[in-house]
Amino acid sequence: MTSPTLIRRQVARRHLPARVGVGRFAMPVFWIILCAVILAPCACFLVLAISPRLFDQGSQWFTLTYIQQSLTGSTAVAITNSLWVSAAAAAIGLVFGFPVAWLAARTTLPGRRLVSAGMWLSLLLPSWLPALGWERLVQQDGVMYRIGLDWPWMTNLIMGPFGVVLLLGLRCVPFSYLAISAALNGLGQEFEDAARTHGASRWQALRVVTPILAPAIWSALAIGFAESISDFGVASTLAYNSNFSLATYQLYASINNFPPSFPLAAGMSWLLVAAVAIPLALQARALRGRSYAILSGRTRQAVRRRLSRWHATLAGSGLAVFFIVMLGIPAFGAVSASLLADYGGSFTLTLVNYRALFAQSTLIGPLERSLVYGAIAATVTVVLGFICARLLSARRRSKATGALDFMLLASVALPGVVFGAGYIFAYNLPIMASLHIDLYQTVQLLIIAYIASSLPTSARVLVGSVSQLQPSLKDAARAHGAGEIGAWARGVLPVVSRPIVMAWLYTFCGVFLELPLSQLLYAPGSPPASIAIEDNLSNYHFGVGMAQSVLAVFIAFAAVAIVLGGYRLLAPAGWRRIGGTVRG
Amino acid sequence: MNRTNRRTRLRLIAGLTGALTATVLAVAGCSSSSSSSASTSATSSSSPSSSGASATVPLVVYAAEGYDTAEGKAFQKATGIPVKVDDNSTGPLLTQIEASKNNPNWGLLWVDGPTAFAGLDVQGLLLKGFEPNVKWNSLGTQSVPSDKSYVPTGVTMMGIVAYNKQKVANPPTTYQALLSSQWKGQVGMNDPSQSGPTYPLIAGVMNYLGSVSKGEQYFETLKSNGLVINPTNGPTLQALTSGRINLALVQSSAAIGAQLSDKNIGLEYLAPATLLPSAIGIDAHAPAQEQKEAEQFVNFVLSPAGQKVMQSGDPTGDSLFYPVRQGVSPLPALPSLSTVKTQTINPYTWGPQEGTINNWFDSNIVR
Repeated sequence: MTSPTLIRRQVARRHLPARVGVGRFAMPVFWIILCAVILAPCACFLVLAISPRLFDQGSQWFTLTYIQQSLTGSTAVAITNSLWVSAAAAAIGLVFGFPVAWLAARTTLPGRRLVSAGMWLSLLLPSWLPALGWERLVQQDGVMYRIGLDWPWMTNLIMGPFGVVLLLGLRCVPFSYLAISAALNGLGQEFEDAARTHGASRWQALRVVTPILAPAIWSALAIGFAESISDFGVASTLAYNSNFSLATYQLYASINNFPPSFPLAAGMSWLLVAAVAIPLALQARALRGRSYAILSGRTRQAVRRRLSRWHATLAGSGLAVFFIVMLGIPAFGAVSASLLADYGGSFTLTLVNYRALFAQSTLIGPLERSLVYGAIAATVTVVLGFICARLLSARRRSKATGALDFMLLASVALPGVVFGAGYIFAYNLPIMASLHIDLYQTVQLLIIAYIASSLPTSARVLVGSVSQLQPSLKDAARAHGAGEIGAWARGVLPVVSRPIVMAWLYTFCGVFLELPLSQLLYAPGSPPASIAIEDNLSNYHFGVGMAQSVLAVFIAFAAVAIVLGGYRLLAPAGWRRIGGTVRG
Repeated sequence: MNRTNRRTRLRLIAGLTGALTATVLAVAGCSSSSSSSASTSATSSSSPSSSGASATVPLVVYAAEGYDTAEGKAFQKATGIPVKVDDNSTGPLLTQIEASKNNPNWGLLWVDGPTAFAGLDVQGLLLKGFEPNVKWNSLGTQSVPSDKSYVPTGVTMMGIVAYNKQKVANPPTTYQALLSSQWKGQVGMNDPSQSGPTYPLIAGVMNYLGSVSKGEQYFETLKSNGLVINPTNGPTLQALTSGRINLALVQSSAAIGAQLSDKNIGLEYLAPATLLPSAIGIDAHAPAQEQKEAEQFVNFVLSPAGQKVMQSGDPTGDSLFYPVRQGVSPLPALPSLSTVKTQTINPYTWGPQEGTINNWFDSNIVR
């Protein structure tokens, strides 16, 4: 033990107090940042419900009128609708997402290598795109009727609560899939083997193993609920056109009306924040005090189960139908709208919209900006998200961790338009100008807002994998002489590299076509892609706008392909093998 | 030991990230204070650009017109004054103005519909008394408010029916005719909470019928006759051409633009159509220099060069307006106004009622 290793460890120990000092300083800084980018804007908006005078939005310093208004009439109906629709959508997401994740990760399912790409593509699509596709298909005089299918019952079914739940449920499937498959990647063969050794059938072994995935399952449900309750794409298209009122649209209408009623919107936001406490409480209750650390240096690679021809055909067909519904219909809606010059009056296909699009001198700038904004926001978000996930997955949760958990999930539930307005109230205060912090309507604030709005979901996507990390991974690296950062890079990073890449891509895709925040916060003169698309769609250039949407989605998907391809080519083989504990 | 190290590592990573984000914030604060906020640049005495009385500051233009970016570029080229255009829908622009009331960041607002300007004016948010150096025609004269708190730049109309010529031989010509069972389930219009020009249509109908209650009764009857609501002009026209509806109540510029690209669309002007001026209002709380630049911008927009940009910036959309100054003719696609019966609504009567009436419409007609 006279080796350089010992000397290094002694040196490391000598430096420890200084590092702890830095650490003590660093953690409060981290909390201050979180408070500045998430808590302050949300709080500034929420406080309007009880004190509109504080931000010049009314005469009362204290009132409960707006909270009461939120609980009556059409707003109460909208909130009730949002609650049950979101719960149903989260459940649908899990019911479809879990088996698909299991089949893709643990069996020889035909086309399993395409499942992940398909899920990412559907996550990448803004939620209004599937809604538009379905509407074009089933609306009166829509495609369904034109090809001779006179099915008014289908129109009534889709253009109503069922359709809304179905669409939001399908939207939740990728969240469930990603959370479950990330956890499955870390779940080695040893647990299943142990059950089978003790005489369990395959089905019984699955029942033994499934509870180990509880953090991922609860994460999937919580994300699904919060994402559905804050969704605006479906609320403003299919639900709106079906006269089925959801809370986010009601809230949007309060803000977008003239003059806007920010206090009433804040009152509704309180109710949305309270609503996400439900899945959070259930999650906390289910997971309290248990450890799900299963990923260690001894984790054994799982073996894929070979499906019989009959099972493979059945599962493969089911998967194909699933993706046709998930991706085919939205693609049909967008592409058909972009290929019809006359808004869909005929079936004559033309490239006139694409020609008009490429003739626009302002085409490239917004796309370039959104690519850069997405890359920056995703990188910072993933780093912050990893730290949050680490804190959230700690076995012994402090009050601060509980507060972090609630803050992150509550902010998922707040629609982007609330976030945007909150940022204006918080960062455009006269005191900010006197402090020379003039961030409103700058690129920097827009990117910070993107980060803040993406962080909760990113942390939630990562928490499933991070909760599986065992301390032994890093301890092993330390025992072999690695320093703090080296031990993390060599012991932990390889294991979580795949979920980190996935979280990065998810944030990137979300930011790339984000609209509500961009509308309120973008720097004048520097519109991102979503603003340019909306400009065409809401005016008289519907076809050009759809062509622009198709182009933007194509670019975003190309970016995803490049990143995933880069990971496959550049990441050490060991990283990919450790990240996926499945053979075959 | 292990736990301590783990915690230390986490703290280190957290610290690094915190420092990184703090740096971004700090850089953002520094750079934005020097470059992106018009009002700050104007008030900062240390800024080199504001040291002289006539030094320019960036003019922030909030606009929802199809030609606004082109106009901004032309103005910047002609004057050298840097222009930053926030090109957005009317709703988000008004939301930003209302949310930033205690520290406004805009220089001027350029949108369709005088009622929104009247609403801002009664809150004291618009600069009063500015009159551009221009000779108005009759449309311009009747669109200028008495306190000169905003300036008309062009006029479109609401109360236009775009119809499918293949399915409709004799389109309705009056508002009452739309209530006929002949058009059951075939009439569509925009949602006023999403489409800026739609409130003036609703107010116009109420004005024509004589009271708010009679107007409410009218729209309730229209709803019971199967009225279809879409968010904005684009989706309403899309519903028309896809066959979901056969009559679309949209803005004249949208209807004429659609007609240019789809010869199956016909137009009918209901009597009376409501005049809808596009207008510019200047922020009452903007720095003096920016207000001066905003006035220059208005003069430029109404100059022959500015009008040319307005008429060429969005040829199948917002460029299809009736000019408000003498010496400029409307584009050839626009029908003569002498064949159209029109009305003007008083924005100061109808503007303050916008929130209440839109809420009523949202609760009783949209749902």
